[in-house]
This record gives sequence, C-alpha cells and structure tokens, in this order.
Amino acid sequence: MESLHPRVRLLWAGRTAFSGLVLVGIALVVDRFVVSLPLQFAVAGWVALVALGAVHAVLAHRIWRFELQDDALFLVRGVVTRTDTSVPYVRVQHVDTTRGPVERTAGLASVVVYTAGSRGADITIPGLGPERATELRERLRDLAGESEATDAV
Amino acid sequence: MRRLHPLSGALKVGRGLLQGAFFGLIAGTTLVGVLGLPAGAAPLVVPALALVVGGFALARYYRFTYEIEGDTLRVESGVFARQSREIPLGRIQNVDARQGILNRLLGLSVVAFETAGGAATEATLDAVDGAEAERLRRLVQRRGKATDRGTELTSAEANGADESETEQSTGVAADPSDGPDTEELFAFSTRDLLTYALVSVRPAAPVLLLVGLPLGFDILAGVLRFNLGLVGGGSSLSLSVLGAFGPPRLVALVALVGLQFLVAALVLSVALTLVEYYDFTLVREGEDLRYERGLLRRYSGTIPLSKVQTVSIRENVVMRRFGFATLAVETAGYSGGNGESGQGVAVPMAPRPVVYDLAQDIEPFGDLDFERAPTRARRRYAARFAIVAGVVTAVGYAVDTFLLEGGYWWLLLGLFVLVPPAAHLRWRHRGIALDDDVMATRTGFWRQTTRVVPYYRVQTVFVGRSPFQRRRDLATVTADTASTSTIVGGSATAYDVDDDRATELRGILRERLYTDLLGRKADRDA
Repeated sequence: MESLHPRVRLLWAGRTAFSGLVLVGIALVVDRFVVSLPLQFAVAGWVALVALGAVHAVLAHRIWRFELQDDALFLVRGVVTRTDTSVPYVRVQHVDTTRGPVERTAGLASVVVYTAGSRGADITIPGLGPERATELRERLRDLAGESEATDAV
Repeated sequence: MRRLHPLSGALKVGRGLLQGAFFGLIAGTTLVGVLGLPAGAAPLVVPALALVVGGFALARYYRFTYEIEGDTLRVESGVFARQSREIPLGRIQNVDARQGILNRLLGLSVVAFETAGGAATEATLDAVDGAEAERLRRLVQRRGKATDRGTELTSAEANGADESETEQSTGVAADPSDGPDTEELFAFSTRDLLTYALVSVRPAAPVLLLVGLPLGFDILAGVLRFNLGLVGGGSSLSLSVLGAFGPPRLVALVALVGLQFLVAALVLSVALTLVEYYDFTLVREGEDLRYERGLLRRYSGTIPLSKVQTVSIRENVVMRRFGFATLAVETAGYSGGNGESGQGVAVPMAPRPVVYDLAQDIEPFGDLDFERAPTRARRRYAARFAIVAGVVTAVGYAVDTFLLEGGYWWLLLGLFVLVPPAAHLRWRHRGIALDDDVMATRTGFWRQTTRVVPYYRVQTVFVGRSPFQRRRDLATVTADTASTSTIVGGSATAYDVDDDRATELRGILRERLYTDLLGRKADRDA
C-alpha cells in the first residue's frame, strides 16, 4: 500500500488555517458593522482550529493508503469514518490529473478517477508527486483499457 | 431534417408575444416614470418588445431541426449560438413523453431522450404530434436493442430498416396495438388507485401545505376563528386571546389545529397522488417496459429492460400490513434533478407476490434469504435512540423550567420506553442477501426498501466504519451502481455487518462483477 506525499499534510493544514481566516474575517465584518463581538474569542477559536486542522492533517496522511490491486484500485481514507473504496478497473470511465494553483505551489498533483456511479462518481487521490501522478494516470488508463468495458454502463 | 410541429411553434410565438407585451408594459411605465419620457412613448414599447420576443421564438422554432439518421439522433438548435448534437441510439436509456394540458388539447407531446452522461436531459423535442412521438420511440427501441445485442448493423441494413420502420410507424400510430408483442402487466382500477393514494403518504404534502398556507389566508383565518369559538374564546384573532386561556383550553386548541393540519395534509397527499397516477398502465412491449399515467398532464415513457440497473421494492408500514408493495426500476438515464417523484416507478402498488414476480421477471433472482446484522448492532441502535431520547428530555426540561413552568417535563422520560422496541425494529428490518446473480439489501421500518443489484451492475464498492462501528467491529458495505437518483438511493447499502463479513462481501462483489461481466460477454458472443 502506498502513502501520499508527506507535503500534503502542509497543504491540508494550510487549507484549514485559511478557511479559519475567512471565518475570522466574517467575524470582523460582523463586529464592525452589526454587533460588537468578543474578538479575542475569535482569535482563540482560530488558533484552536489551526491546531485541530494540523492534527487532522497528520492523522489523515497516516491513514490514507492506496494500491493498484489485481482487479481494482483500492483506497483507504477517513479520520473519523474510515472508508475503503474499491474501484474495479472495468468501471473506470476516464482519469484526470489535476493541479490547482495551491497544489502547484506545493509541488503536488491529484489524480481523479471517474466512474458512472451515482455516489462518489469521482474519486480523488490527492497529494501525489507530479511524476507519480502522471505515471498513475497512465497506469490506470492502461488497466481500464485492458479490462475492456464489456458493457457500456 | 424535421421540424417540430407547427402548432407548437405557433404556441411558442404566441407565448413570446404575450411575454414581450407584458415586459413592454412594465418597461414602458418604468421608462416614462424614471426618464420622464412623454406619456405617449409607453404604448409604443409594448408592441416593440412583443415583436422582439415573439420574433425570437419564431426564429428558435425555425432553427430547431432534428432527425434520426442511421443509428444516431441529430439535433440542431440555437439562433445566435448554433448547437448540433448527435446521440447514438444505442446509448439512449429512456424515452419519455409528457403532455401538458394545452399540449393535450392540441394532440402534441414533449419527447425527452435520456442518456447516462450529463446532468440534464440530453435532447428535448418540444413538441411533436403523437404519431411522430411514437415513430421516434419505435426507432430508438429497435436500434437500441440491436446495439445491446452487440450486432453490428451495416449502414445499408440500418438504412433499410429505417425506411421500413418509417412506413410501418404511420400505421402503428393509427393503431397502437399493432407493434411488437405487448402484454399488459399492470393497470390501476379506480378503487386500487384510491387505496394507493390513501396508504402512500407523501412526506412532501405537509411541507407543501405549510408553503401554501399564506395563499389561502382568508380560509386559514376563518378556520382559526371557528376553532377559537369552539374552544370558547372570542372570535378576534390575536395572540393576546391565548394569554387568557388556561392550559387545558390551550392544549385542546393545539390538538384541534394539529388534527386539522394532518387531515388537510392527507387530503393534499391523496389529491397529488390521484393526479399523478390517474389511469396508470404498465405494458411490456418486447424488451421494453412502457408506462402511461397522469390526470392533467399525461406522462408516458419506455424503459428498456436491458438498461435497468437496480430494482427496488418499497413497502411502507401500512402497505406491509396489508401485503402490498411498490416496484421501482432505475436506469442510468434520469438526471437526479428533475424532481419527478414518479420517475422509475414501475408499479405504484400491487399485492407483494405480483410485485416480486415482476421484479424477478426483470432481474432474475430466487427467494431472497436475508441475513441480519449481528445482535450487537441492535445495542448500537438502542444506544443511539437513547441518546436522542436523552437530548429531547433535556430540551424539554429546559423549556419547562425556564418558559412554561408546568412541571410536567418528566413525562418525556417515557420516550425511553420506546427505545428498545425501536432499536429492535430497526435491526429486524435491515439485512443483506446474496443470491446467484444479485445482491439484495433491505432497510427501513416505516418505509422498507429492498434493493436488488445484479453483480454485473456494481460500479464501486465502499466499506465504511464510523468510530462507533469500529468499537463494535461493525462496518457498512455500499455497492454503488450507475443509477442516478442520489437522494433516494441508487446504491445498495448493507448496514452494520460484521467487520470480517464486510471484507468478505467486498471480495465477493468485486469477484462476481468480473466473472458475471465475462459470462455475459461469452453469452453474447455465442
């Protein structure tokens, strides 16, 4: 089983910190224009959120595993509810690699696997090195092709 | 290339003229008011805008063409931005036709083609006449079947088939019984429909009623006055009247209003169901299911059996008591957002054996032998319900202490009595069955849903374990399929199975997916 790139922890923690900042920003606006709020609580809340986000990121990285098994892409994830997902190669419709601006700065990329399913029709493997992401996408494409969809949807 | 029916074009132009005139009226008066234009300008804006909007509708009508050529449906549309779309007939999942009241008077219907991709309906022909709708449906039916069997038609054959089909279809439209072998599977008698409307409670009805209440304000006020009179208050509607009431009268009033609300919701629910399912028939036509329903707006459509992803059997608690069930089939075609509650319902209500026969006809399976979750799952439900009961009691206590001061909050402790039976019922109505070719899952006491998924339709397998499940070595196994209704389900879920059993199930599902797909391929090649 393969883990994600360690740097993804930074990315995840940073994301929580940023969304926390947005909340603090909203609190500031409310404080300025609507009702005065105890701002020291907002700051303390933000610090707590950042700490929680960091812990979550470390745990999430520790739990996240994926593997190309014989017949399916297998992945394990989830800090609170742990989910393992099997995506049979026959069911892969197409595969993307995506690199958002933030991911690019961190030197990371994601692979997104699409199926025709109703729930979780797109499955993302985040935090991969760019070469690994490309390699994985090509490997998945080949595996999906080999297993040749015998039935359209 | 064909055009839509001229009458529908005329209808759209007429609507455009009216809309334009209406906007013109608003725009004209605003302009006169705001910009200080001479008052004579306003009447000029009305015909101008009406002509623009009406003209646009006319242009839209003339630029919309469609045709079935060989085995693709081609649709060209758009006035300024031209769009042309080709849909391979073999990929069309459902063909549906609906008739609004106006269209019904004109003998027109709106035909919609659904494929598995995309979020919205792929092609909508608004509107064509009945014969044309029938012709399109037949063409799709025939071509879709050919592709399903994997038979490659040469273009010459395809064209030949098309022509003969076209000739034939005019006759077909005149006499609907003349087609592939048809067999009526189900029809509603008036009495059955009424029974169904009564027992199938629509959860949306109370919500709709609440939303609609302000519209019928006079009636509402009248009813409230009547209630107040009945309880013995004056007839003036104000909150201060309530202050004068003692608790017994207050309780009586609340009970009265609640009862009236429930009855009104029931009446609304029955009315909605009657309108939706009036004159429902389900016919098997060769390899297709064909339904028709509706009192005011008529809906009809075909569901190719070969495209059915999952079969669901639903029974609410009343229906179960009297041995009735609902059968629903899902294909990958319908987009989740179109909000038709009747979508995919093959049989609204029939005796359970009939429903099971039909389900087995669509998707062969034997007697389902459900294995229940381990009894420790029941303890989990009991714990969960106990927490809910605890929270409700706590809230009740707080409200009673700080607001009502009635001292009766402890009555809520009675909720705890309900915890063990509730947990037991939830546990008893959940299960999973593995049959030769299908997996079936079942859940729900109030509304039991049995979902049958053939192994070869499985898309993705999820095994989830929440912290509470991990404590008891339980897991939830979900087999996702390509059905589109994300809210009602689509995926078959086995709740709280033993952890090791979950891993085993995952293995079985993954393996059977491949072996069954290969088996089907071999069957087709042979």
